[in-house]
Amino acid sequence: MNGAHDLGGMHGFGPIEREVDEPVFHAEWERRCFAITVAAGFLGRWNIDMSRYARERMEPGEYLRSSYYEHWLHGLQILLVEQGLLTEDEIAARMAELAAERGG
Amino acid sequence: MKALKAQDVEHALRNSRGARVDADIPAKFQRGDRVLTRNMHPAGHTRLPRYARARHGTIAHDYGVFIFPDSHAAGEGPHPQHLYSVRFAASELWGPQAAGQDGIYLDLWDDYLDAVPDAAQ
Repeated sequence: MNGAHDLGGMHGFGPIEREVDEPVFHAEWERRCFAITVAAGFLGRWNIDMSRYARERMEPGEYLRSSYYEHWLHGLQILLVEQGLLTEDEIAARMAELAAERGG
Repeated sequence: MKALKAQDVEHALRNSRGARVDADIPAKFQRGDRVLTRNMHPAGHTRLPRYARARHGTIAHDYGVFIFPDSHAAGEGPHPQHLYSVRFAASELWGPQAAGQDGIYLDLWDDYLDAVPDAAQ
């Protein structure tokens, strides 16, 4: 699809920032997001190309404003809902529950 | 539903299936062949970037037979076929803004490519 992920040749994003000794993950949630995505893959309900396509379908403006592992998380949510493993409501309810536990 | 237990993770990761397919499928092209990428805009997944559609390139290497991502992503099966490294002159992709003799190599599947007739080369 001609989505926001197909960035090759676009101008205006500024230089690529190269970090010295760049860590694999920049935050603990990224590590968890990666692990949960890989573990969920072993459910056998989708393949790697379906995962990529799920990430590509993120709303283009949102895609460009968000980070790499946010794309992963979004893609995983799409797959879980499409495969009938979770509903949007269940995800929203759990997020509200966690937010309340942490004091909003 | 299948569940992956902690003690099975390493084995599962080490034995996860790659995209290479062990099948005797003929290649449409050989190293050195001139090819023209298709002008296509599928709504589904593809690994042919927009900037490389309807462009001339040259087969630099044949990796062998691999799962075709476009059909695989659509749940329409692996449709295995040859995957190549295709070289494009930078000027073919970026016109006068391209740097001199630069080339760009893209990994592209048979179904993205058409032959260029000898007369058109």
